[in-house]
Amino acid sequence: MTDLTAQAEQIAHFSAVLLRGAVTAVEITLGALLVAILSGLLVALVKSSRSRLARAVADVYIEVFRGIPPLAQLFIIYFGLTYVGVELSSITAAIVGLGLNGGAVLGEVFLSGVAALHYGQREAALAVGLTPLKSMRFIILPQALRITLPPLTNYAINLLKETSIVAAIAAPEIMFYARNLTTETFQTATIYLLAAILYFMLCFPLNRLASRLERARAAWR
Amino acid sequence: MIEFLSVYAEHWSAWWPQILPAVGVTLGLTAGAYALSVLLGLGLAVGRLSRVRPVRWFASAYVEVARSVPALAILFLVYFGLVPLGLTLDAFTAGVVGLALCHGAYMGEVFRGGLEALHKGQREAALAVGMTPRDAFRFILLPQATRIVLPPALNMLIVLLRDTSLCYFITTPELMLTARDLTSTYFLPLHLYVLAGAIYFAIAFPLSLATRRISRRMSRGLRQSV
Repeated sequence: MTDLTAQAEQIAHFSAVLLRGAVTAVEITLGALLVAILSGLLVALVKSSRSRLARAVADVYIEVFRGIPPLAQLFIIYFGLTYVGVELSSITAAIVGLGLNGGAVLGEVFLSGVAALHYGQREAALAVGLTPLKSMRFIILPQALRITLPPLTNYAINLLKETSIVAAIAAPEIMFYARNLTTETFQTATIYLLAAILYFMLCFPLNRLASRLERARAAWR
Repeated sequence: MIEFLSVYAEHWSAWWPQILPAVGVTLGLTAGAYALSVLLGLGLAVGRLSRVRPVRWFASAYVEVARSVPALAILFLVYFGLVPLGLTLDAFTAGVVGLALCHGAYMGEVFRGGLEALHKGQREAALAVGMTPRDAFRFILLPQATRIVLPPALNMLIVLLRDTSLCYFITTPELMLTARDLTSTYFLPLHLYVLAGAIYFAIAFPLSLATRRISRRMSRGLRQSV
């Protein structure tokens, strides 16, 4: 019996430590999501430009971030840049690295969101006298947002899961604490299972939300 | 820039004997995990469309769980978590199994999407002309679904290539871990990680171009057949 309570106490201790990591994971996710949305909008804007050169630059950005693992990107930003005198904290490096990486993903999401709208929408908006900016603001964007919301939610889920890799640059998130706990106690199975459950509890509701949004979009179209 | 590149010229002969086998490991992880995840994905897709309720339930539960847990946590569970149960896998096998367990779920969704996109009449017509359900699947549904599925399935190859870098954490001697090891000897993090990134890119970019080409071709064919 005392054995059992000792075990329960240990699990409670593990959970408390991992929860601290979850807070950092969510912070990094939110920060990186903001960077990703901003850089994604920029990529989409540049890619729909009329200049060939600008479009090529956006393509290079997308292909480079798509082809290189986020872990390599993080290492370049965190360890590599110290070589040229830029030192970032591990959390900043994580937000910048994952965020810029997400810009390539969301750039394509935003583009296909705008492309999915019939061009007659814009023409009609211009014909009734809206300025190009206003037609974007009141006609195109609200509809495009509805189309892009499901993939955006999916991206946010992937991002939350991807924050697990920033343990490699010692940002104190869930996997970082899990690894620390295992070196203290050697309870690998329990600790990694708890970490997996914690991620599941964070991601599962978001996954449900994403499929609801998906269905809502399908019904609307 | 010249100065930056000259570092590579200087160290290349010392680096490549370690980098080259690491690229081999990365490619091996990608190929092994891809093959396994295709098998798992097919099983899950068929399971989710099965008429037997527990099978359906199990397949969708698996997909939901695997999609909500990071690949890294799955890798740790496979590599470290099974040891207390007496199951010790080497780092390469654990990498292949862990990545496949994770990506099989995504692959299953891709395959299911392909099967569900087919009109019901296809199956009904095949059964009406006297094919067994199995033959209908094998000769009518599967070939058509393949065309819908191929572009996203190829795309998964690129995603998987990226994710092999996660095996760094479980000490599989792949590209990232090798770059890391070399860094601790040569103290040239920027050069080594940029090199690693460039190698990943050199593998992924042709794949990406091929995927785009094939997607375009496939969608052209589909539009004609509608």
